[in-house]
Amino acid sequence: MRVIDCVRRSAIGIGPERTIADVAEIMDQTGVGALAVIDQGRIVGLVTDRDLVRRGLARSVSPDARVDTVMTADVVTVEAEADLHDVFAIFRTHAIRRLPVVRGGEFVGMVTVDDLVIDLAADLSDLARPITGEVLFAHRDPPG
Amino acid sequence: MQVKVGDRIVVRGHHVGDPNRDCEVLEVHGTDGGPPYLVRWGDTGHTTLFFPGPDAVVQGREPTTK
Repeated sequence: MRVIDCVRRSAIGIGPERTIADVAEIMDQTGVGALAVIDQGRIVGLVTDRDLVRRGLARSVSPDARVDTVMTADVVTVEAEADLHDVFAIFRTHAIRRLPVVRGGEFVGMVTVDDLVIDLAADLSDLARPITGEVLFAHRDPPG
Repeated sequence: MQVKVGDRIVVRGHHVGDPNRDCEVLEVHGTDGGPPYLVRWGDTGHTTLFFPGPDAVVQGREPTTK
């Protein structure tokens, strides 16, 4: 399965000149916990609600400061056409829960651990159904 | 997704009870009407770049069900 096929939600991007206060407001109103920071079509950073707390609030950074003062730069990304197993490998080796998806270097979406877990849980449920049926309602040959 | 300036995009709520959100396309940054789009959100007036996923449809072009 391609990575791009596992993107479940629309993503939001902002320019690096936007303020921390802007970002907090957008996150609050959209329910999105991570925004891509885009400059000239390229992703230059990722800012999460956790970044706002740890790198912003906790260090008394002004809400009017640019978002690139608190974002994570040098973001790990994955190609849109890559195989889903590449995503698992990245999540295995990096302490991240959201992975920007790029096509030719341009940001196109976000794949998250949460969405993958939900998909896997649904797949497991489908696989478990015939087993559950067999365990609960054993097929026995009639006597004689 | 392909849109033109002035189109409205609807994003369905992700959690139970979440309302749908909609935005107006101000600029099309991709080729042939493709994403990303600069949009203005209807409920907040914020402008952001928008990268549509499977949860987004162009208003008036929602899939029909029989």
